[in-house]
Amino acid sequence: MQRSFALMPQFFENRTAAPPTMADDALIAKAIGGDRRAFGLLVERHYDFIFRTACKWCGKVSDAEDVAQDVCVKLASILKSFDGRSAFTSWLYRVTLNAVRDMQRARSRRGRNVDRYAVVAPDEYLPDQEDSAAAKELWNAVRELPGQQRDAVLLIYAEGMSHAEAGVIMGCKEATVSWHVHEAKKTLRGLL
Amino acid sequence: MSNHDEFDDKLSALNALKTPVPNEARRNQALDAAMLAFDAEQKRVTQGNPLISRLSSVFANARRNWTMDNRLTYGLGTAAVALLLLPLGYQLYTSTAITPVGVPPVTVPMQVEPTPLGGEAAKVATEEKKVEVLANGTASVETPKADAEIAADSLDNRLAGSTADAPVEEGEADLAVASPTPMAEAAPFADADAAGKPLMRQMIAPGTVAQPMTAGVQPMMEMESFAAPAEPMMAMPTDPSGDEFSKFAESPVKIVKSEPVSTFSIDVDTAAYSYVRRALTDGWVPEPDAVRIEELVNYFSYDYPAATDAATPFKPTVSVYPTPWNGKTQIVQIGIKGYVPPVTEDKASNLTFLIDTSGSMDEPDKLPLLKRAFGLLVDQLGENDTVSIVAYAGSAGVVLEPTKGSDKTKILAALDNLAAGGSTAGAAGIELAYQLAEQHKVADGVNRVILATDGDFNVGIDDPEELKTYIKGKRESGVFLSVLGFGQGNLGDDTMQALAQNGNGNASYIDSFKEAQKVLVADAGGTLDTIAKDVKIQVEFNPAVVSEYRLIGYETRALNREDFNNDKVDAGDVGAGTTVTALYEITPVGSGAELNDPLRYETDAAAATPDASAATEFGFLKLRYKLPNEDTSKLIEVPIGRDQAVDSLDKANADSRFAVAVAAFGQKLKGSNYGEMSWADIRKLAQGARGEDEAGYRAEFMGMIDMAAVLRPNVVNAAPVEDVEAIPVPVPEVVPAN
Repeated sequence: MQRSFALMPQFFENRTAAPPTMADDALIAKAIGGDRRAFGLLVERHYDFIFRTACKWCGKVSDAEDVAQDVCVKLASILKSFDGRSAFTSWLYRVTLNAVRDMQRARSRRGRNVDRYAVVAPDEYLPDQEDSAAAKELWNAVRELPGQQRDAVLLIYAEGMSHAEAGVIMGCKEATVSWHVHEAKKTLRGLL
Repeated sequence: MSNHDEFDDKLSALNALKTPVPNEARRNQALDAAMLAFDAEQKRVTQGNPLISRLSSVFANARRNWTMDNRLTYGLGTAAVALLLLPLGYQLYTSTAITPVGVPPVTVPMQVEPTPLGGEAAKVATEEKKVEVLANGTASVETPKADAEIAADSLDNRLAGSTADAPVEEGEADLAVASPTPMAEAAPFADADAAGKPLMRQMIAPGTVAQPMTAGVQPMMEMESFAAPAEPMMAMPTDPSGDEFSKFAESPVKIVKSEPVSTFSIDVDTAAYSYVRRALTDGWVPEPDAVRIEELVNYFSYDYPAATDAATPFKPTVSVYPTPWNGKTQIVQIGIKGYVPPVTEDKASNLTFLIDTSGSMDEPDKLPLLKRAFGLLVDQLGENDTVSIVAYAGSAGVVLEPTKGSDKTKILAALDNLAAGGSTAGAAGIELAYQLAEQHKVADGVNRVILATDGDFNVGIDDPEELKTYIKGKRESGVFLSVLGFGQGNLGDDTMQALAQNGNGNASYIDSFKEAQKVLVADAGGTLDTIAKDVKIQVEFNPAVVSEYRLIGYETRALNREDFNNDKVDAGDVGAGTTVTALYEITPVGSGAELNDPLRYETDAAAATPDASAATEFGFLKLRYKLPNEDTSKLIEVPIGRDQAVDSLDKANADSRFAVAVAAFGQKLKGSNYGEMSWADIRKLAQGARGEDEAGYRAEFMGMIDMAAVLRPNVVNAAPVEDVEAIPVPVPEVVPAN
């Protein structure tokens, strides 16, 4: 159960250890307390991570930049809802993934024509040159998956996580993650 | 369950993917935007957590004056929460043995400054905030069918743990919620979602103890999914609760004998109405503090006789008619209509647009709408007029040097070039705007800075108090300020109101192009051309005739009795052609509708009334105003006589009936303590009073009633969520499941 007090002993243990200066935790606590610099450092430190994640999920650099900025802005208001139950990066994954989803939803709501009218060529984020056309195809197929299946597949295969880890980020149980992966494979089977 | 297959190999190719290096410029831009957001966030510290905001409302006065460091308020609030929750959290911790299911303890506990136990309590507080956010959140599920299946799956899994064969029935969740059972592990997962509703799990977690309340707060019960695929939503910027409103308590019923005089400043803003309309249209009930009844009523214009010359810019109209929601009381309606200058008189205007271009403005209902809205305004300008544009936050600086109103192409092009999300913080934006406005000040014309924002007041002066003082100072110099609010989620309605009031201006909320058209074209005169300022109303009720009274709305505009004659005290301003309406509900002596019992030792005050006219008057209305360029107020006095009264609502004119219907709507929507009417009755009353309604505003209001009726059905003990005691008093005894 997520909302557990059984994690409390850990909490005590960590209290005794001297907090490493400028560790994420310390920065977060300070930022929540209103420390502007701490917040700045924190966001700066994690921007690349957010951007890279968004990039993998959206497949477009410009979208990823938008999402990353969104997340940065959002952090200002939701950082205080980070409660230390999971690792900060896990939490950040979750925030980023949600932001990706929000963006895609918003986009599908208002105008699918944006790209169609874009003057510049769509800045699709391509896998390295040496990657085969098949890899590219795989990428696109994965990104077309329904939200949670996509999340599960990317977390496990692109980010190399275990099902349990992915479960923490997706806010569901390990078995559910496995189920999503299973479903994703079923979907992909038709496409690949 | 991860059976290895060909796909694993294929998919593991994903791992090899390299991501591009982030673009430095975009990175900095994002970081700047984050800092701006952080600053804005710090200003509205108590947002979103009713627990904390309630506690910090202890400091309401300090907050209103903006003298207290917000962080301190927050800290105190948090500390208080911690103190309250500490024993509770600890008890739960010690008395339950709930371990995570399938979640490895990868937790990195937060480093919190205070004692470990304090930290734990804070954690509980955070927990509750999250629940709150979720309650407001609009989690939707992308593939409902698939998700439903898996939800069922996981439900089964879980039930298998303890009560494997227990049939899961619809509606069981309600039972479970209403009476926490010892089966803490299994019971919560019973759930009525089989019907394919968005999968929000109802669960009773001992950690979320803030839930002993039941009726009226359904959403609070719907919490984070935890075995199910409905992903927990993070707070979204569009979360309705993100908007900030000043808190106020409804004006109470007053006894005429002990408090015969009622004083308030008029309010010509209409922001509350458009905000409410937007909320209802989007399908949620606005928070009670967002519903300012006087602004709802004043959104509509009423056909009061207008004043004839600019020297006496308005004359009050008084009428008295029965209250629709209470057969024994009466409504006193006071209406004024501002003088309308003849069309031939083309007043020169000097307008400076001060436009927020922060990243958050980059939404269709913000900057793009703003551009079109200002386009409308520019269309009406002519040779005499000057326009300048200053942007702040984002692409900062003077966007358009003062330009003749006739040079529309240039103005529109400059507007069009505005882009949200630049990276430079726009310092001194407001000073720049006033500087431009003063340079091109027109004597005897309209000098106005129009601030358009979604709530980001990072205009160059950080301290809100200083900002207000600054605006006040500029007001003396004859440059007024209007504020237009856009979008939602970040809207600092309280700040908007405060700034506009200090700047002798008005605050409007633009939720749609139609509203832009109303504010900037149809009512442009009222918005831009002030004909009287510091308009105050004072009513003295006659204790021989009226035993109790209650001012409907205007809570945020109440003045002290002595302020009425003090010309230094600022009050509301009236624009050309604007109508302002105030409603009192009065209880005539002997009607039997008094809410207060008579006093045992009181001498009969009525007998002491010397004047014979006293028996024929409900009260006496006094109104003070200043002409725009004057500093001394003028007084208008009118008795509220019995001859102005009609004995049935049907005999009241349509405008009166409509106004009172709007008031009833507002009262019901915000869960007022007074005046219960059914939605159908309100609708009927308004429907019969629509009049000509050329612009269709009243027809639109009908739609809002219908929407409200759906969202907040009649049979409410509508305790607004805020009023529910969130501190759980009866702690459910949790017996560990075997």
